[in-house]
Amino acid sequence: MEQKTKLHEKLVLLLVMLFFYLPIIYVVIFSFNSSKSLSSFTGFSLQWYEKMFANRTIMESIWYTVSCAVIATVVSTIVGTVTAIGLSKSNKALREAINQVNNLPMLNPDIVTAIGFMLFFTSLRIKTGFTTMVLAHIAFCIPYVILSVMPKLRTLDPNLAEAALDLGCTPLQALVKVIIPQIMPGIISGALIAFSMSFDDFVISLFTTGPGVNNISIYVYANVKRVNPTINALSAIIVYVITIVLILVNVVPLIRERKMKKNEN
Amino acid sequence: MKSFSKMVYPYVVWAAVMIVVPMLMLVLYAFTVKGNSVLTFQFTFDNFIRFFSDPVFPGVLWRSLKLAVITTLICIAVGYPTAYAMAKLKPNSQAVAVLLITLPMWINMLVRTYAWRGILSFGSFSGEFKVYVGMVYNFLPFMILQIYTSLSKIDPSLITAAHDLGADNTQTFRRVILPLSLPGVVSGITLVFLPAVSSFFIPKLLGGGQYVLIGNLIEDYFISTGDWNFGSAISLIMAVIILISMYVTRRLDRYTAQEDE
Amino acid sequence: MKTEKILKSAVAAAAAITLTGCGSSSTPQTETIDAQTEFGCSTINIYNWGEYMGEDVIPNFEKTYNAKVNYDMFDSNENMYTRLLGGSSYDLLVPSDYMIERLLKEDLLQPLDKEALTNLGNLDPEAVEMQKVYDPDLAYSVPYFRGSVGFVYNKNNISEAELEEKGWNILLDEKLDNKVFMYDSQRDAFMVAFKALGYSMNTDNEEEIEAAYEWLRKVHQTVHPAYVTDEVIDAMAYPNPNEAKDIAVVYSGDAAYILSINEDMGYFEPKQGTNIWSDGMVIPKNAGCPALANEFINFVLEYDSSYDNSITVGYTSTNLQVKEDIANGEYAGINAYLPRSGYDKDEVFRYNDVLVQKLSERWTKVKLD
Repeated sequence: MEQKTKLHEKLVLLLVMLFFYLPIIYVVIFSFNSSKSLSSFTGFSLQWYEKMFANRTIMESIWYTVSCAVIATVVSTIVGTVTAIGLSKSNKALREAINQVNNLPMLNPDIVTAIGFMLFFTSLRIKTGFTTMVLAHIAFCIPYVILSVMPKLRTLDPNLAEAALDLGCTPLQALVKVIIPQIMPGIISGALIAFSMSFDDFVISLFTTGPGVNNISIYVYANVKRVNPTINALSAIIVYVITIVLILVNVVPLIRERKMKKNEN
Repeated sequence: MKSFSKMVYPYVVWAAVMIVVPMLMLVLYAFTVKGNSVLTFQFTFDNFIRFFSDPVFPGVLWRSLKLAVITTLICIAVGYPTAYAMAKLKPNSQAVAVLLITLPMWINMLVRTYAWRGILSFGSFSGEFKVYVGMVYNFLPFMILQIYTSLSKIDPSLITAAHDLGADNTQTFRRVILPLSLPGVVSGITLVFLPAVSSFFIPKLLGGGQYVLIGNLIEDYFISTGDWNFGSAISLIMAVIILISMYVTRRLDRYTAQEDE
Repeated sequence: MKTEKILKSAVAAAAAITLTGCGSSSTPQTETIDAQTEFGCSTINIYNWGEYMGEDVIPNFEKTYNAKVNYDMFDSNENMYTRLLGGSSYDLLVPSDYMIERLLKEDLLQPLDKEALTNLGNLDPEAVEMQKVYDPDLAYSVPYFRGSVGFVYNKNNISEAELEEKGWNILLDEKLDNKVFMYDSQRDAFMVAFKALGYSMNTDNEEEIEAAYEWLRKVHQTVHPAYVTDEVIDAMAYPNPNEAKDIAVVYSGDAAYILSINEDMGYFEPKQGTNIWSDGMVIPKNAGCPALANEFINFVLEYDSSYDNSITVGYTSTNLQVKEDIANGEYAGINAYLPRSGYDKDEVFRYNDVLVQKLSERWTKVKLD
């Protein structure tokens, strides 16, 4: 749906981005504050970053958070997409049933889902730890992926895949070459939501993890009793990393393009 | 294409084990007599009677539903135009916009909310206003992403065709774009409304400490009071009420789906 | 690229601090012990409150014992307890008094090895006295921090004389409308009410509970308190002009921290009595390496560790020498660092499942009024 963006639409985007980034700018600024205050900036300092890098628990929690989120996102995106495609072709009763079941992790308060998982693991005598946390994350992420992919499938022309098969594609080829590219935006937004949910989860992680395995949220929740700019530094780091990735993703192709042009000349 | 329907089965098994079984345990708790964190097998309706016999509890549920509905409506009102504008950007810019919308979700919810508390303390805003700022901030990305997804990759030729057939911009939007984007709106509603009903941390931190919501209540009964039976019952009541309202929404969705066939 | 530069210097600075950290932090007097050969295991899992330990305690312990410590943090006794139900096995916990009582009742703790605890003599007798309420022989627990609950108040707006006169009942004064932070926990809020009415905070009496409920409702209608938990600490330490409050119900350790930052604030323990509490170190039955956990307890009781803990956190040390040194040094003049003890109207919370049930519903109703 590429058309010219109109001025007022640009304005909408700008305002929404401003809304989204106001608190983030705030966090970044105060991560450099020399005092602990969150309302007055008393001077520039890197002490909170020093504290953060020196803190083993924080460093480990970053590692656990990222690895858990990556595994949970990859698995739940694949399973969720495959399931959604299957659902779009299955009978109504099954589709309805799965849809209702999928709503459960979303509508239940986290604590209910968390206690449910905890009871489940303990009744099977499974020792909680990183694996159980990842399993729980996969479980609550899949519904989000399915929910993101389904609308795209619904607007997909059902004849498309049939046509591919008629033209000699195997079902797998039809899936990979025809259906998946068509629903890609849904898959991407599903993966992004899954990653975000996993990355930011607190309650479910708390009750499905074991000793020595913390994610960032568990650390943050236990350490915000008092103003703790180390946590701002931790959040700011995430912003920097993503900013760098964004710049790389966008600038590198541009430079390459320019080089190619130069070479052509 | 029936062969594709087999692809559902692994997930059916997974969902049965990882979602349905833990849920059934909690349903069991809701219908049994209190046994301090241990499951007893004495069947009872007491937990449900207790909920409805005291106007306090339904009152809390009502407040939570209201908060969630208003949050969802604001998210649609703000999210739709945003997603629409995003879908019109160049493909590269679209990818950046999607990432920019997602990024705030990767900052811990508590950190974001504390930041808002700091920002909003510079003016004198009402507690209610602050709560809605925090709620919308937290849930808006979900709505935007869902609507954007359904708007993107709408075949441009559809729009050209509509124009060729004499439709003006408004008509094209109403007759072509809006119906095609509605499934995304419905997904967005699900993603915002369901978690919003039981969220309580944002209202607690931004509302000046005078917000009791259903999520708050459930967590209290599970953790502080250690009464899992009543906690389960409350969340079961909440789930049933929400599922009914979702069923209504889905009917609406089906109605729109039929319309564009 | 500016951000990258900042990042680089941050990394460099972090490296620098870790390196200097190694050099400067004096390893305690004890010689290095190899935990593996000595105790057959070299890893312990500790579960403590967030922001409750000095930064060097664990690194020093790990060096001295050639051991690894997994350090997890909780934000409430109940969260910790629920996780224990989930089968998480820890070697050392630091719950509060009533929770230790509960764990004891449910037979989840193992006796401490008194022979390993050579530093028990360092303990403050006042802290030991409190611990004895639920663990008479200190067979299962060793006090870690202790304190009381009281008011943090703005000395410019409220006089101490007025607090002396009214005690907890100052919360019924109309002039404090919208100027009050109340602790959002049924336990602490009802403690205030029980004490204001002259009852025991461990009461089971229906009439007294009902009266306390009415008292809290009256407070709610008169001063419309903001119900907060840990947010109160920042709100009082760094008050925002638009939302500043004059008085708050606060734990003494947090009060000491607030007072050390904000000179306008004072700490006051009402004459009607209050909650005195202590958090203690205990070893669960299912601990994997209890011998090393005992060593850790002993290590915490040493002067250096105790000092590091108390100076970082601001809570009252249970090490007598440390307490006296800090009270006369860093926290000189801050009365919240030396909470009242030995006063007969002060009480320790007891574990009472029935009371918790009774209070929770009423507490919800108070806030919804």
